[in-house]
Amino acid sequence: MPALAGSSAVKVVTDTTTLGRGADTLMTNCRSCHSLKYVRFRDLRSIGIAKHQIDEWRGAGSVDSPILAMLAEKDALQSFGIVPPDLSLIAKARDGGVNYLYSYLLAYHNTADGSVDNSVYPGTKMPDALGISSATTAPQLVDIQGKASDITSFLAWAADPHANERIRMGYYVLAYLVVLTSLLYFVKRMIWARLSPPDDHKTH
Amino acid sequence: MSGRIINWIDRRFPFTSFINDELTEYPTPRNLSYWWNFGFLAGFVLVLQVATGIFLAMHYKADVANAFDSIQHIMRDVNYGWLLRYMHATGASAFFFVIFIHMARTLYYGSYRAPRELLWWTGQGLLLMLMATAFMGYLLPWGQMSFWGATVITNLFRATPVYGEQVVIWLRGDYSVGDATLNRFYALHFLFPFLIIGAVIIHLVALHAVKSSNPSGIDLKAKDNIPFHPYFTSKDLFGLGVFLIFYSVVVFFVPDSLSEPANSIPANPLQTPNHIVPEWYFLPFYAILRSVPNMVGGVVAMGLSVMMFAFMPALDRSSIPGGARYRPIYRVLFYLFVIDMLVLGYVGYQPPAGTIVVIGQMATIGYFAYFVLIFGLAKVEERWLIKRGLPPDVQALINAEALAKSPGV
Repeated sequence: MPALAGSSAVKVVTDTTTLGRGADTLMTNCRSCHSLKYVRFRDLRSIGIAKHQIDEWRGAGSVDSPILAMLAEKDALQSFGIVPPDLSLIAKARDGGVNYLYSYLLAYHNTADGSVDNSVYPGTKMPDALGISSATTAPQLVDIQGKASDITSFLAWAADPHANERIRMGYYVLAYLVVLTSLLYFVKRMIWARLSPPDDHKTH
Repeated sequence: MSGRIINWIDRRFPFTSFINDELTEYPTPRNLSYWWNFGFLAGFVLVLQVATGIFLAMHYKADVANAFDSIQHIMRDVNYGWLLRYMHATGASAFFFVIFIHMARTLYYGSYRAPRELLWWTGQGLLLMLMATAFMGYLLPWGQMSFWGATVITNLFRATPVYGEQVVIWLRGDYSVGDATLNRFYALHFLFPFLIIGAVIIHLVALHAVKSSNPSGIDLKAKDNIPFHPYFTSKDLFGLGVFLIFYSVVVFFVPDSLSEPANSIPANPLQTPNHIVPEWYFLPFYAILRSVPNMVGGVVAMGLSVMMFAFMPALDRSSIPGGARYRPIYRVLFYLFVIDMLVLGYVGYQPPAGTIVVIGQMATIGYFAYFVLIFGLAKVEERWLIKRGLPPDVQALINAEALAKSPGV
């Protein structure tokens, strides 16, 4: 694993607005090449995306169909030499997780010979989809950083769609266990209190 | 009414006497500390793994084309499938965690000493079966680390004399890890837990024959033994509550902390990950494997490192009971061994380069030196301690044991 040059931390958020923006950005900027095959269109309803929006994205496809790339694998191989990775699990599948994705999206820069490279993943086959390397003004940079952050949040949801439910359940489970364990401690104490004190035959 | 039913049963099956002998009247040393909870916890985790595993098996597909997808199906579409899978994956780590503490307690207090050798050896067998089960289970998600881990480990069997090549093919069912391997690992991963349950019963039979050791290492007077139920059932249940709190923190809040990112990428036989690492519980042994420059030597060293524990009753010839409690040299060795294990674990996770290799080799020497030093120093320490004067109870036990062993009796 190469050192994450200029790696920056991103805060993953789970509110409907951010996830909706992230999904939108991903559909326009990433889906032309990348699939999201473990996510079905209808799953997007669970993060509050409007039905008409989903209908627009799926086109003639069924709501039950997985989100596939626009570009056929065969054509991708021809254009890029590789099939762009599926993004369903990408937030889990890289060392550094979401921070890696965020840093990677923003790590494009112009090189001395006039081409564009990525400092997090030098030589990457993916073009600078968000256009950070050609951004010149501060508002542009802020806008692109926002997009990268939204996409990352959306991909974190896509990789672990039950995370919110899991964490919510976790608090209830822990609260229950803490109460139960405290009671068990007192039960144990009460039962052991029946014993007469042991003979003092300590050898130390 | 219930009394009549129980009477009816008791004339045909030793129900009441079994409950009395093994539970409500089963004599247990009253001075057992919480370190003695971990055997019960291991049993609990075993049940948890079987229970979650059965339900996962209902949705999993052992087929190279479908395995990875079926895990995603479990994680996304099956009702509470994510909970089952996170419980099972975390449960594997929890199993090793409690077993390592259980073993460390046995080593620290010298619980492997006579007459508990068979108890210790059945435990050693259980450790091997647990390792095999965990290893085969790790292939099932069919991620990159699953595939390459299984490839690396099955490759080690090339070290078998003469038939190395054939043994590797026999294990994999193919020339490389593939569909045949996945299917047989799945079948065996399902079978082994039931063999483990059988071995646990044997382990418990051995335990109930010799009874629990205790922190003093001295057999207690009858009045210092108390019935297992309700005293230790209540103590174990409290320990279980504490365990479940830690377990739930991992399952619900950081379930991915123990899994390698590369295992979220489907297995690809054409692309080796940058850095193949086993699960954390295999890291010390993996470090030993890599520390020996020669492949056969590495495999032998790794196998031996797991099996060394079985030799403890023979290596530790000291007649002083209580393990580390009455034996300062042994105590120092024990702590050095624990530190050495942690160093090996760290080394096993790092790419083998530069000083890591040297540290790994030194820690490997340290690992085996522990067993050699116990063998060499046990008698020296014993003579020194006897000369210095032992507590009367300890001295009495040594005398009694010597008497029992002498041929005249």
